[in-house]
Amino acid sequence: MPDKSSDVVQGTLDMLVLKTLALEPMHGYGISVRIEQMSKGVFRPNAGSLFLAIQRLQRDGLIDGEWKATENNRRAKYYVLTKKGRQRLSSETREWGRQAAAIARILEAS
Amino acid sequence: MSLLRTLGSGLRSLFRKEQVNRELDEELGEYLEMAADEKMKQGVSRQDALRAVRLEGGSLDGTKEIVRSGGWESVVDTLWRDLLFAARMLRKSPGFTLVAMLTLALGIGGNTAVFSVMNTVLLRSLPLPNPQQLVFLRVPNDPPDGVSSTGDSDRSFSYPVFEALRKEHAAFSELMAYMPLAVGKVAVRIGEEPEEAEGDMVSGNFFSGLGVSFTRGHGFTLEDESAHASIAVLSYSYWTTRFGRSPSAIGQTIYVKGVPFTVIGVTAQGFYGLEPASSTDFWIPLQNRPELNAWGESSSLNTLYGTPNWWSIQLIGRLAPHITESQALAILDPPFQSAALMGLGTPDPKAKKSILTFGSTQGIQGMRDDYQKPIQILLAMVGLVLAIACANVSLLLVARNSTRAREFSLRMALGAARGRLLRQMLTESFLLVGFGAALGWMFAISGSRALAAWSGVEVPFVLDSHVLLFTLAISIACAIVFALAPLRSAISVPAGLTLKTSNATAYRDRKSSWSGKVVVASQMALCLILLVGSGLLVHSLHNYQTLPLGLRADGLLVFGASPFSVDSDEDKEHFYQTLLPRLRVVPGVESVTLLSHRLGSGWGWNSFWAIDGVEPQGPRSEIVMSANGVGPDFCHTLGIPILRGRDITDADSRSAPTVVLVNETFSKRFFSKGDALGHSVGKNKPENRFTIVGVIGDSKYKRVDEKSKPTLYFPYAQNTSIPNMQVELRTRGNPEALIPSIRAVLHDLDPNLPMQKPMTQRAQFDESFSQARLFARLSIFFGVIAVLLVATGLYGTLAYRVSRRTSEIGVRMALGAQRRQVLWMILCESLLVSAAAILAGVPVAIAGARLMRSMLFGVPPGDMISFLLALVGVILVALAASIIPARRAAALDPIVALRYE
Repeated sequence: MPDKSSDVVQGTLDMLVLKTLALEPMHGYGISVRIEQMSKGVFRPNAGSLFLAIQRLQRDGLIDGEWKATENNRRAKYYVLTKKGRQRLSSETREWGRQAAAIARILEAS
Repeated sequence: MSLLRTLGSGLRSLFRKEQVNRELDEELGEYLEMAADEKMKQGVSRQDALRAVRLEGGSLDGTKEIVRSGGWESVVDTLWRDLLFAARMLRKSPGFTLVAMLTLALGIGGNTAVFSVMNTVLLRSLPLPNPQQLVFLRVPNDPPDGVSSTGDSDRSFSYPVFEALRKEHAAFSELMAYMPLAVGKVAVRIGEEPEEAEGDMVSGNFFSGLGVSFTRGHGFTLEDESAHASIAVLSYSYWTTRFGRSPSAIGQTIYVKGVPFTVIGVTAQGFYGLEPASSTDFWIPLQNRPELNAWGESSSLNTLYGTPNWWSIQLIGRLAPHITESQALAILDPPFQSAALMGLGTPDPKAKKSILTFGSTQGIQGMRDDYQKPIQILLAMVGLVLAIACANVSLLLVARNSTRAREFSLRMALGAARGRLLRQMLTESFLLVGFGAALGWMFAISGSRALAAWSGVEVPFVLDSHVLLFTLAISIACAIVFALAPLRSAISVPAGLTLKTSNATAYRDRKSSWSGKVVVASQMALCLILLVGSGLLVHSLHNYQTLPLGLRADGLLVFGASPFSVDSDEDKEHFYQTLLPRLRVVPGVESVTLLSHRLGSGWGWNSFWAIDGVEPQGPRSEIVMSANGVGPDFCHTLGIPILRGRDITDADSRSAPTVVLVNETFSKRFFSKGDALGHSVGKNKPENRFTIVGVIGDSKYKRVDEKSKPTLYFPYAQNTSIPNMQVELRTRGNPEALIPSIRAVLHDLDPNLPMQKPMTQRAQFDESFSQARLFARLSIFFGVIAVLLVATGLYGTLAYRVSRRTSEIGVRMALGAQRRQVLWMILCESLLVSAAAILAGVPVAIAGARLMRSMLFGVPPGDMISFLLALVGVILVALAASIIPARRAAALDPIVALRYE
């Protein structure tokens, strides 16, 4: 584990949340843990920005929330990707790939 | 979809705040627990785990705040909180709130009312579809020489012109003709009692061409026009006042000068016809019978198709789509020129050509020119009042907010952003202005009604969207000014300072007290300007009222009596010969006479006459003469002195030798050396000569402010054709009390005969300066408001300053200052401010008075009396406003003052 986690690149947290939820429905804490795991500890979103992103996505109709019991017998709000969310994820992934490749090309140019 | 969802979820968190908060709490709580569980798995105690999580992720409340402020609803929420807080602040100082709101209401309401008048008179379009296509037709240089015209000569046309132009469909999709049945009101009867109403005869396409819609029934057709159908359309307001909006009005019979018409329709609400400044009650199709001649013309020759060179028809056209006014005029000019000369024989090729133009249908026709300037001046006056009102409110706000300086610095010390404070103040001032504007709107509604009544415009003033926008604009401007004025002083206070200092020595810098004085001084300067304006207008009104009329106007009653059921001149003479003796015996009547043109009504008869068969030579304006047809006892009844010769008597009948009275000006101008008696006046032929049998004093004819003109008074019965006459009664006691008994006399003569526009002669003369009276009254009203506002503003400022200087005054008195010195110190301050105001205000007032020159009568713009009174007024206001605070300061007990706070 690297000693410092960094902030998520601006504007990409929504995409990361969508990606996490594409695998399976998940509660808030789960999303944060999953992002940390998948980024190998590089990104660890704090609760404030995470829940803000969740609220935003929910209002845009990209995810839906539902209260359910967890495996530890707690109650938590699980979020599911909607159809619209799935479409958005794929379009954003494509766009991100294009941009990242472009940036990489620029950085390697010299 | 997503917008809806955002809206929905936002609304949910607004209105079900509790539940949404609970859910967020729960969700975040779970998050915390789960994170702590994770830590505990690594063997940390629960307490340490929770602490670690909080340290990493920030506090729960902080997180909640971040999430909550993410949605749009949080803006609404803070706004709502600000509003509640503002309302609480306003409630806490009810006196301030009330004064500020009333002041604003007065300022905003006054402006709205005056603007709505301006809107109606100058700007408003006709309430008809596509009003921009509608144009009035005009001949600004008057019809060709040789025609006779009735009505305003620049907007009257002959029937052949109408016929020729209505065929030009390339220019007009429709051309409508309309002409009043009388100058003013016409005799009508619905049921038993005769009454008067305003009626127009119109072409068959009048309603369809204008696009008037109907509440009940329908309008006329072209067939109705050619058949001169006996049908009528009522206006909505006449239907309301006369028929109580009863559906049974349709089918009723309305007798117009005794001719029956069946009501077939009622126009939609808001259409008042096209007659300037008055509201038409009913319309009938064009009629071709002498008793229904346009303008109530008595000659049996001037029927609809009778005289091709009688210009009496008013025209309004709807331009064809996609045609400009100049294109239309180019099409219309050739047919207009040939039709204009019809009935005039071979035209003189050198004679002037009449020019056809279009007039705007915006505003009230004819009133634009008369009222533009006065209304602008009025708007300037209310603008000044508003400026004073705003200055007052901002003074109040600054004063109040500096006592709140501690609150502001505390809030800033606790970390409130300046933007947040600004928002708070904007909210407060918008709330204040909002209430003020709402009150002002109500004030404006009654104010514009009063203005309408005063100005004699019958068309109701509508408070429409233009006016609403105007009001909103000035209110928002006020609100922003009020928010910014106190903010500057509030946020420029260093946060630490006010917290440290006590109230008594509260932070006060030279600049802020200086700016307060400047505001008060400019207020007083504005007040001075207003007072000068009012003084000038009141002085003009006084001049109008005290102008000698040359006759005894008090005790005279005047009304019109038109015998429409009789036709020939002999019958008319008989009618009046029967009427006069019956009126003479009515108790309370001293004597009776007749006039063909009512005095003071603005109408008159101008003509050129030969003296002893010789036409006087000279410029037109020198030799034009006024004339009037008069009845027996003319001089005696009106109280005009007979200088030489005799009065007109019953003996001067149609068959008697023709005679005439002339006034002093006539005698002086044309018989400067000799005696006018015995000479004759007349047109070319010797048998049309009238012998001068009396020279009488000059008296006012058309209006009060006219110069005397050479005037001739012919016995009415000796006129070529006897016109409809006005009856003048010299009465004992209150003239208007006689109206019922006179009405009964008329009813006995003819049940269709109404008393036309009965009023005292004094009131009729007063009408000729109604505008001056209106402006004088309004300017007094505004002047009083300005004085009150300035007085309260000055009082408030001084009282506030005295209360802040309490301990300073205490020190001064403890050190030996006398009460008189303290009193003088405070008075001096306000006198200095008024001196500055006078220095600044007088030059502006002089310039302003020059702009008003055209509205003044017998008063020079630099009228010393008005200026002196205004100066005295301002100084008195300053003294009156400062005497209470000054006395309060002088009465301070030094011990109490020193202990103050």
